[in-house]
Amino acid sequence: MTAVEQVSEVPAPRARVPRLRRVLESPVFATKQSLAGLIILVLFVLVALIGPLFIHGDVREKVGPVFAPPSSKFWLGTDGGGADMVKLLVMGARVSLLVGFAAAAVSALIGGVIGLLSGFVGGKTDIVLMRITDYVLVIPDIPLMIVVAALFGRSLTNIILIIGVIYWTSTARLLRAQTKSIRERVYVQRARALGASNTRLMLRHVLPQLTPLLIANTVLLIAYAIFAETFITFLGLGDPSVVSWGRLIENAFTDDAILNNAWWAIVPPGVCVTIVVLACTMMGQALEDSFNPRLRSGHLSVRRFRLRPVPPPREVE
Amino acid sequence: MRGTDYVVKRVFFAVVTVFVAVTLNFILFRTLSGDAVSALRCRQCTPQFKAYERKQLGLDQSKLKQYWLYVDNLAHGDLGRSLRTQEPVWSTLWDPLKNTMPMVILGTLFSIVFGVITGVMCAWRRGTGTDKAGLWGSLAFYSMPPQWLGLMIVLFVAGALGLPTSGIKDPTLGILSTPSTWTVIVDRLRHMVLPALTLGLVLYGEYTLIVRSSMLETLGEDYVLTARAKGLSNWATVWKHGLRNAMLPVITLVALSLGFIIGGAITIEYVFSYPGIGLEIVEAIDQRDYPILQGAFLLLTFSVIFFNLAADLLYFKLDPRVTE
Amino acid sequence: MSGLLEVEDLHVWFDLPHQRELHVVQGVSFGVDRGERLGLVGESGCGKTTTILALMGLLPPTASVAGRVMLDGEDVLTRGERSLAPRRWKDVSMVFQGAMNAFNPVRRVGEQLVEPMELHGIAGGQMAERRAGELLERVGIPAARARSYPHEFSGGMRQRAAIAMALACNPKLLLADEPTTALDVMVQAQILELLIALANDLGLALILVTHDLPVVAQTCTAAAVMYAGEIVETGPMDALYHGPKHPYTRLLFAATPDLESRDVVVSIPGAPPRLDEAIAGCPFRPRCDRAISRCGVERPRLLQVGHDHEAACHVAERATEPLASGGAGLAGEA
Repeated sequence: MTAVEQVSEVPAPRARVPRLRRVLESPVFATKQSLAGLIILVLFVLVALIGPLFIHGDVREKVGPVFAPPSSKFWLGTDGGGADMVKLLVMGARVSLLVGFAAAAVSALIGGVIGLLSGFVGGKTDIVLMRITDYVLVIPDIPLMIVVAALFGRSLTNIILIIGVIYWTSTARLLRAQTKSIRERVYVQRARALGASNTRLMLRHVLPQLTPLLIANTVLLIAYAIFAETFITFLGLGDPSVVSWGRLIENAFTDDAILNNAWWAIVPPGVCVTIVVLACTMMGQALEDSFNPRLRSGHLSVRRFRLRPVPPPREVE
Repeated sequence: MRGTDYVVKRVFFAVVTVFVAVTLNFILFRTLSGDAVSALRCRQCTPQFKAYERKQLGLDQSKLKQYWLYVDNLAHGDLGRSLRTQEPVWSTLWDPLKNTMPMVILGTLFSIVFGVITGVMCAWRRGTGTDKAGLWGSLAFYSMPPQWLGLMIVLFVAGALGLPTSGIKDPTLGILSTPSTWTVIVDRLRHMVLPALTLGLVLYGEYTLIVRSSMLETLGEDYVLTARAKGLSNWATVWKHGLRNAMLPVITLVALSLGFIIGGAITIEYVFSYPGIGLEIVEAIDQRDYPILQGAFLLLTFSVIFFNLAADLLYFKLDPRVTE
Repeated sequence: MSGLLEVEDLHVWFDLPHQRELHVVQGVSFGVDRGERLGLVGESGCGKTTTILALMGLLPPTASVAGRVMLDGEDVLTRGERSLAPRRWKDVSMVFQGAMNAFNPVRRVGEQLVEPMELHGIAGGQMAERRAGELLERVGIPAARARSYPHEFSGGMRQRAAIAMALACNPKLLLADEPTTALDVMVQAQILELLIALANDLGLALILVTHDLPVVAQTCTAAAVMYAGEIVETGPMDALYHGPKHPYTRLLFAATPDLESRDVVVSIPGAPPRLDEAIAGCPFRPRCDRAISRCGVERPRLLQVGHDHEAACHVAERATEPLASGGAGLAGEA
């Protein structure tokens, strides 16, 4: 028996538990908050996907009086151009969520690759990559976004890329730390001793263990991205050909909705953004928390230990 | 002196980052966007004039030479000239910056105070309804786009509080008589409150989270148990042992949030028509006034780097364990 | 018998999820007099730390308590926080397990010694600082080190500093929880000698909690052996050492090969029982080498088996076999 065989005290990654049970056990369902977050997100995605099927023609067409208050015809009234707020919101959902998911994917990809490489290969690569990350971190994100958006034109693709390229740092750091710890685990050492190449090690052994953390982080990135899109659009740098929630807020502002007391043009898009971002944040936080050790109980609290009467002595036979 | 090399390291890092920012700025604006001159629009801006201007500004030379020229100009405080007004960028930005600074500081103070209060409250009453309410509330505000929150405040709150919602001064002041310094200050403050409040509300959520978890961690430490064993009351323990240790991450957080603070301030100033650097940036975007944008970006980046460094050094001073 | 500390029938439960509880301390009674050094011995998880935390009222809100803790004749548990808080550190103080972390890392050591003095009005300002310096000297640390931060001390120094801090208000009783674990052998010996010297010089009563038998044998005048939340044997050190009556005690002493070798881990095959379920009969039965049928049915109670010597064992009731053990000297009377 070789030394390698003897080393296997630590179990390798989980055996093939039935998939459904695995899914149900996943941390997403652990807390009420993360479950609520997931449900909300799914709802919005459904609306974004299915809603536009029911909408015909250009959403921005004037179909009613400008800034008409909510009525039975227009449930949320009309905006500054006389368009139906509800339809605008639904179309906006599609774009905002698209930007959110796409930009988050870009960030996750960049950050994931950098983090994985950095943590796995170590040495000079690690140092160089981390230095770059440090510099990118210090540069303020929003001014940079604004500047790049102002320079590069206003298409949706550009915006997605811009957001994606700015927010990868947290993912990189997180994954690097996790990779470093996984790399030292027994089954990885064993595979390496058996002659697996670096690439194979990274892909088959390390990556699967990183996936949960990566997902947790990406969910938070989605929140950031949707948020960032509202910034860019509000300053007039958004894609003029699409409607997003950010654009709806901008429109409300530039069309002087406030002067017209048209709260229905202002409140809904922001509420939508807040809810989706909140849902993602709750879900992401819950997921990340489940990978962290629990906080110990405090020695301080309002309630003290309780007194109770002495139990009777145990019966003697 | 303890940890001189730590200080040196941090300063060096800051300096290098400054160079990275400058270079990035240069690359973005010069190399990729076409130079400043081609964007000029004025009656006398014929192609010949533009060629002449190019020569004057050294734009006909190689990129590398331009870079050195740029850096050299920067070192002399020359940020170029605005495309619209031909005024130096520096002076165009300086006045609005003087308006933005107090507003941002006030906003950050709001957020720290809100955050610490809610964070401590949540940690103290961990697991109870207060904890949950505090967390949800702060997270909800944190998820709101600042410009939207600003609009909401203008819509629903400003009228009730009787606070102004645009500009930085009351235009009627000073027409009939010279106002006292006190009146001027109050007036400025009144105009600053709503934007600062918006900023504070948007930011405090992050502080609540950090303070809460930092506090919880601190409260679980053995030295807190020791403090209680010595006979200190709950309150005294929190105040003397818990707070100081738990506050350390807050300082780092302030520094890390600076980028976000500035960014949020930009949109908030737009909403409140507050004549600060944010509003200036928005106008520059609108008018394609690239030198202003470039200068503003540099300025903001420098200040973030500077405050990061300051926070590092402050943390270093407060936590004797940091030696690196 | 009235003494400095009398604990009567102390119970502690911890809440568990789903309405269950962990019965961590199950009817513990003991007493300590001035100048006495009592060892509280047992494996990890047997409830000894919880017991002494209960003495100072430092249990978390998930705990519920029953029984009486009499300090100088006054029942401190039922009187509550108002009665306890002023007594903390002044009458009873504690050296925690892992004293490394007992100090606040961002404040100087001297400050933390001064803190309880000022709180309880023992001394203030310059006088308090001087006193702190004296206390440090007494435990073998130069007074000038009061200006250092905790992380600048070695482990052994921090332990000694923690002892100095515990003495700041001249307590009558010192509770020491595993004061020598995680310290190397030489330092261990120093700390123990220090504790004995302090107890003698100051007339301090000492409760020493540990799982390390040689430590107890060397330092204490009497000992109580805990198992699964109960005291299973108690008596003068001499009696326990030369004639342990409870099989657990016997095995504990036997499992330690030699007093000279600091074998910290005491291992007896098997594991202690779960405390969230009621146990029939003697909790030690599964691991006992002398169990009889009665042991599986009836819980043994603490009964006299010698002068001042009690044990909770059915077998001990009948048997009187002495057990000869050699070894180095024991802690005797002062």
